[in-house]
Amino acid sequence: MTFRRKLLAVFALTVFLSVGAVAWLVLALTRNAFEKTEDQRTAALVAQFQREFDRRGEEVAKRVAAIAASDSVSRMATALNGTTTESAEYFELAKSMAETYQLEFLEFLDEHGTIISSAQWPAKFGYPEAAFEGLSAASDQSAFLEREELQDSTGLGLLAVRETRISEHPVYVIGGRRLDKNFLSALDLPADMRVLLYQNRSDHFSSDALLDPSGNGPDPARPANKLAPLIDEVRQHNQEMTASVSWSSDQGDDELFHAIPLRGAGKDRPLLGILLVGNSRRSYVELKRRITGSALLVGGGGTILAILLSSWAAARVTRPVEQLARAAEDVAAGHWDARVEVSGSDEVAQLGISFNRMTAELLAQRERLVQTERVAAWRELARRLAHELKNPLFPLQLTVENLIRARTQIPDQFDEVFRESSSTLLAELSNLKTIISRFSEFSKMPHPQLQTVQVNEILRGVVKLVDAQLHAPGREPIACRLELDERLPEIAADPDLLHRALSNLVLNAMDAMPNAGALTLRTRREDGKIVIEVADTGSGLTPEECARIFTPYYTSKQHGTGLGLAIVQSVVTDHGGRISVRSEPGRGTTFVIELPDNRGAMQKGPAEQSTGGNVGQIHG
Amino acid sequence: MKRFGWRWFVVNSMVVSVLVATSAANGETRPQYGGVLHVAMHASPTSLDPADRAQPESFARHSLTMLMFDTLVTVDENGHVQPSLATSWQALAGGQRGQLRIRRGVKFNDGTPLTPEIAASSLRAANPSWNVAADADSVVIDISDQNLLEQLALPRNAIAKRTADNRPIGTGPFHIVDWQPGKKLALAAEDNCWRGRPFLDAVEIEMGRGFREQMTALQLGKADLVEVAPEQTHRVSLDGRRLVSSNPIELWALVFTRAVASADEKLLRDALASSVERGSMRSVLLQGAGQPTASLLPNWMSGYGFVFPADADLTRARHAREQVRTIPTWTVGYDGTDLLARVLVERIALNAKDAGLWLQPTSTTKADLRLVRIPLVSSDPWIALAGVATLAEISAVKNPGGSVEDLYASENALLAMQRVIPLLHLPVSYASSPTLKNWGVRPDGSWALADAWLGIDKP
Repeated sequence: MTFRRKLLAVFALTVFLSVGAVAWLVLALTRNAFEKTEDQRTAALVAQFQREFDRRGEEVAKRVAAIAASDSVSRMATALNGTTTESAEYFELAKSMAETYQLEFLEFLDEHGTIISSAQWPAKFGYPEAAFEGLSAASDQSAFLEREELQDSTGLGLLAVRETRISEHPVYVIGGRRLDKNFLSALDLPADMRVLLYQNRSDHFSSDALLDPSGNGPDPARPANKLAPLIDEVRQHNQEMTASVSWSSDQGDDELFHAIPLRGAGKDRPLLGILLVGNSRRSYVELKRRITGSALLVGGGGTILAILLSSWAAARVTRPVEQLARAAEDVAAGHWDARVEVSGSDEVAQLGISFNRMTAELLAQRERLVQTERVAAWRELARRLAHELKNPLFPLQLTVENLIRARTQIPDQFDEVFRESSSTLLAELSNLKTIISRFSEFSKMPHPQLQTVQVNEILRGVVKLVDAQLHAPGREPIACRLELDERLPEIAADPDLLHRALSNLVLNAMDAMPNAGALTLRTRREDGKIVIEVADTGSGLTPEECARIFTPYYTSKQHGTGLGLAIVQSVVTDHGGRISVRSEPGRGTTFVIELPDNRGAMQKGPAEQSTGGNVGQIHG
Repeated sequence: MKRFGWRWFVVNSMVVSVLVATSAANGETRPQYGGVLHVAMHASPTSLDPADRAQPESFARHSLTMLMFDTLVTVDENGHVQPSLATSWQALAGGQRGQLRIRRGVKFNDGTPLTPEIAASSLRAANPSWNVAADADSVVIDISDQNLLEQLALPRNAIAKRTADNRPIGTGPFHIVDWQPGKKLALAAEDNCWRGRPFLDAVEIEMGRGFREQMTALQLGKADLVEVAPEQTHRVSLDGRRLVSSNPIELWALVFTRAVASADEKLLRDALASSVERGSMRSVLLQGAGQPTASLLPNWMSGYGFVFPADADLTRARHAREQVRTIPTWTVGYDGTDLLARVLVERIALNAKDAGLWLQPTSTTKADLRLVRIPLVSSDPWIALAGVATLAEISAVKNPGGSVEDLYASENALLAMQRVIPLLHLPVSYASSPTLKNWGVRPDGSWALADAWLGIDKP
């Protein structure tokens, strides 16, 4: 990943995480606030329910007491006086008095608990009241919750019991109002809240037992059985519970239900009903959605903006770095004149300035080095020229001095001396001419004329050429081995120059093995390059010699011109390759030539084969 | 100056006072012509045609019919057949045919004379299966029914002449002035009635009124004659109202909608019949009205009704129920507008629950069994039994007109089918204002207003 992309990623991630953290924090605070509000609203509604419960209870108790004290009931109690023979006459009394006193439940019971008259279930006259023992004990107490069995159902009632006692035979008046939808409808419900009542009729959940004052019947969108787990929990633990109920895949339809057990009177305080206070989550979910949407919008927009800004900033930061990198690559490629443009005065600009100073210094040092090498080369050339010319000049000087001396001292032998001296002079002059032609030849190295060649064939040609010398009489024999990779592809090269370079290496190797040895020629393909090795088992070279061996006019031989390996290096370089040497004294020397597989160069022009440096710019 | 005769004056004053008081008393008891009688009724008949079988049998319908129409014969309170439009009758062809001589000079309310042809046509319309023909001044009916005359006395066999638009016209004491089906009927006295003009000038009948509403109308003087619900009869009599009740001529019963399908169901039906506390229904729910019964016919009609035990037998009911492994829940239908019927059904369900049976009261029309009121259309036990069988959709009664033993066997056979569980026999009761005089209830439960008149108290 590039530095710029890393910067972009860091900036975008930072913005995204920041917005996400803020959104999470806001959501958490919102949730806490909503939960607190819901708790407060639930507590207020439960308190309201309790107040309404108490108020109606007092009202029921008053009405039941009024009925018990009424003339009608007194007359009935007097008439019955512990008997049931005349009870038929009062069959409808409970119903009429219930209508008068606006009670939904009203029953008259004799002292044995037998129903004399019932408003809620008129047909039940003469039957015993199942809960008589508990009810008679609750006489003169405040109203209480009780389960009331009806003809076709069971209802919850807020009941009170009073007694009308004439002589020794009391008549019990049990009356009350139904805890039903109307009761729940009387509650002042805040928005997004509703209250349900579950009548605990049996051990199993029954949707019919759930009263919902807000609806006229079962709501298919909100099936009652989804409340069954909460109701079962309350029934199991007999304590308040809270649970969230999902009505649909839309979270806005969710409701948080607070379930409060409603217990009856008596010692056991049986669980008769469960009050369910539902808080709609819609407002919270919608606010949460708005916050999430805003966070996503801000986060997305911020991220995009961050990407754009960080892209711009990263570009400002990384562009000079990239230019520095490219300039460094140019320097590495040899273009020491690479420069970067510098603007500003920050650290990157200082780096650019330093880079430019460094390249300028390097260039100056290279110029100085070139100058020094040039001087050294000239000196070496002068030394070599002096050395090369001194050898033939000295015989020339001796021969001329000998001629002069023979002319004066032995004129009679002058002719013979002259003849011999002339011969020597000519020979030495020829030698001088050869030396001069070699220098001339080095200065006139031709440009390679590329054509498709097979390296192995060139090597075989070289061996064939020197084969006679390898086994020349009077010379210690040299073994020649060819280890050629026959799968080598053809390359584009100048066969004559390549032949000449390889011949030079082979001849050098032969010169390095005056006392016999082995000459090995190898070829192979390595990393897309053609590798040629010329190895001998001669005396080898010192590391110093290895370092200078390709320097023109440097030679380790007594009669060498020091141009052979320079020519070889020139040829290899002109073919786009490189030459190296590895050697240890006494263990032979191996020259390694690496030529590119440049068959495609045959179709390219000279301009495409050349390489050039780039000048960089530094911006600070 | 002659002394004023105080003694003479006092004696003469006392004589005049006695004469005036006697005269006033005579004014109260002597029939008076005139006045409009206001009647309220619970039923809402939509047709006045006596032969219209689409209308359910009811005492109200009988009453209305007998105001406007006459039958060939009538049955008096002693069960004897009396002449009406037919003056005499005789059996022909060894009892296979009946000949009834039509009264001469009788005219329909539109003035056309009653002829044997019209009478025969009317009887054919009421009884399509009968073979009726006119023969000179008689109608001849080919029928082997030994109760032919009692059949002819039924209101549905009243003689009606149908107009071109199929509107029935009768020979009764009143004719129709205004008819709003199911709501109101206004009748006017027929001056040329063959029995003589009725005392009342008109009768106005309000229909579809509840029992409480009727009683209120009576108390407010807006009605002169109203129906009284059975459970209200005791209270009405205590209030000092004039109350007239018939014999128990209405059977309240549970009727299953289908026949017994299995032995288990037979046991369950037996358990249900044994579990019902008819006595408490009568004493409490009906406030002492009616008679608990386990028979189809009332004891006064059959003479053997006591043979069928009407008391609840919970032991028997539980024993029968315990022989059945799976107990279904039966739905018991009742008339949703009848509060008494609802309480009765709820009581029956409670009783059944004691026996381990499950009944679900419902006011819908679809139910396994229903609480129904079956009017006994005739005081003739065979006809009444046949009527019950027809309404309960049981097979026809065999050997009609036989002996009491035959009647008992027939009724027992009908009860053995277990389609009907008799509960109570109830009378039909009416309350009237003090001004309504000389009226009564016929044996079939209908009013007898032809000779009624309104006293001077009537404004």
